[in-house]
Amino acid sequence: MLFRVDPTSTVPLGDQIAASVRRAVADGAVTPGERLPAARVLADSLGVNVHTVLRGYQRLREEGLIELRRGRGAVVTEGASPRRAQLLERVREVVADARELGLTEEELLTLVRAELGA
Amino acid sequence: MTRKNLGRATLAALPFVLAFLVDLILFLVLKDRLPTRLAGHFDVSGDVNGYVDRTTYVLVTAPVLPVLGALWVLMVVGGRFYGRAHRLLIGGGWAVAAFLQYVLGAALIVNLDTPDGAAAGRFPLWHLAMALGAAVLAGGIGLLLARLVPAPEDPRAGKSPADRERIALADGEVAGWARTTGSWWLPLSALVIVATGTGLGYGVNWFLGVPLLVIAVPAITFSRAHVTVDRRGLTVSGLLPWPRFQLPLERIEAADSRRVDAVAEFGGWGYRIRPGRTGFIVRSGEAIVARQRGGREFAVTVEDSGTGAALLNTLVDRNRAGR
Repeated sequence: MLFRVDPTSTVPLGDQIAASVRRAVADGAVTPGERLPAARVLADSLGVNVHTVLRGYQRLREEGLIELRRGRGAVVTEGASPRRAQLLERVREVVADARELGLTEEELLTLVRAELGA
Repeated sequence: MTRKNLGRATLAALPFVLAFLVDLILFLVLKDRLPTRLAGHFDVSGDVNGYVDRTTYVLVTAPVLPVLGALWVLMVVGGRFYGRAHRLLIGGGWAVAAFLQYVLGAALIVNLDTPDGAAAGRFPLWHLAMALGAAVLAGGIGLLLARLVPAPEDPRAGKSPADRERIALADGEVAGWARTTGSWWLPLSALVIVATGTGLGYGVNWFLGVPLLVIAVPAITFSRAHVTVDRRGLTVSGLLPWPRFQLPLERIEAADSRRVDAVAEFGGWGYRIRPGRTGFIVRSGEAIVARQRGGREFAVTVEDSGTGAALLNTLVDRNRAGR
C-alpha cells in the first residue's frame, strides 16, 4: 500500500501515516486480513522515527481498523470495510468543522446524541 | 507457432534430443556389459558411495533431458527473451545438455564390465572437468547456431518512459509503497531443505548436509518477503535486514507492471537469474518489472504492482530532476 507524508505540513506525521492506511482501506486497496508493513520497515522507507509510525498504528487500532498483535504485527481487522473507513474520514471532518466553528466538545456531543436519538 | 518460432524451438530442443539419443544408444550398446546394480553416487574424492539397480537408474535419469528440453523450448518460444538474451538462452541450453549428456554417459562407462557384487569403478574428478569442457564447447556451438535464426525484437524497446503512469506528489512530499509477498510453498520449501540437509548430514555425511543448511538460511528469511518502493529504490527484503536485494533509483530507467510467467520467463520459482533478467518470483502473475540502464530487467511478483510501478517511475523522475 501507498504511504505518503509531507514533513512540511502541520498535521503530525503519525496522523498522516494513519490517513494513508485509512485512505487505502476506503478505496479497497487494502482488504481485511492484510498485514501492514512492520513499523521498522515503514520507518526506514519514509525516513521517519519508528515511534512516529507506531503512533500512527496506535491511532488506527483505536479506530478499529487494525489489530496489533505481538509477533504478527499490524493486521487489518475483519470489520475494516471501505464504508467504515469512509465513515471515520467523515467523523474527522465533522470534528474539524466543529472546532473551526468554535463548538465545545460537549456541544458537539449533544448534537450527535440528538441525531442518534431522533 | 510461426515459422520463425519453429526454427527457434528446434534450435532449443536439438541439443537435448541429441544428448538423449547419444545416451540412449550408449545404454543400448553397453547394456549387456553393465552390472544389474550400478554405482550411481560418488563422493567428493570420486569413490562410490551409493548403488542403484539398473531399471531405477534408467527410470530416474531418462526423463531429465526430455523435461529440460521441453522447458527450454517453452522459454525460447514464450519467455520474452529478446536479442542477445535470446542467443544466450539457446547457448545455455546447449551447454546444459552437453554437460548432462557427458555426466550421464560417463556414469555408464565407469560401471562397464564390473561383475555383479564387485566394487564398481571410481568416477574420477577429471570427468567433471571434461563435462565442463563439453559444456563450454557446446555452449559456443549453440551461440553460433543461434545466429542462424533472427532473434526476436523487444517490442518495448521504443516505448518512452514518459508514457507510463505516475503518482502526483507535492514538492517535499515523501512517499513509500510497501507490500508483503509470499506463497504457501515458501516456508514449506525452507522446511524441506532444512530436513533434507539434516537428514543427509546425519545419514550420509556433513559435506552434503552443510551446503543445504547454508542454502536454507535465505530460504527461511525470504519465506515472507517485503517489497518496498521508496527514496532508496526498489527493495526486496526478508525477515532479517540482510540479505536483501536493492535496486537504487539511479540505476532504474523505468518500471512497468505486467504479468510474468514463472516457468516460461524464469524457468521456475525463487530467486532466478536468466539472460537479461533477474527475478524474485513466487508465482506467475502481476509483477513490478524495473528496467535498468543497459536494458537488464529486475522483476518482483507482488500484488497491486501497478501502484508500486507508478510510484517507482515518479521517484525515478524526481531523482533525475535532482530533487
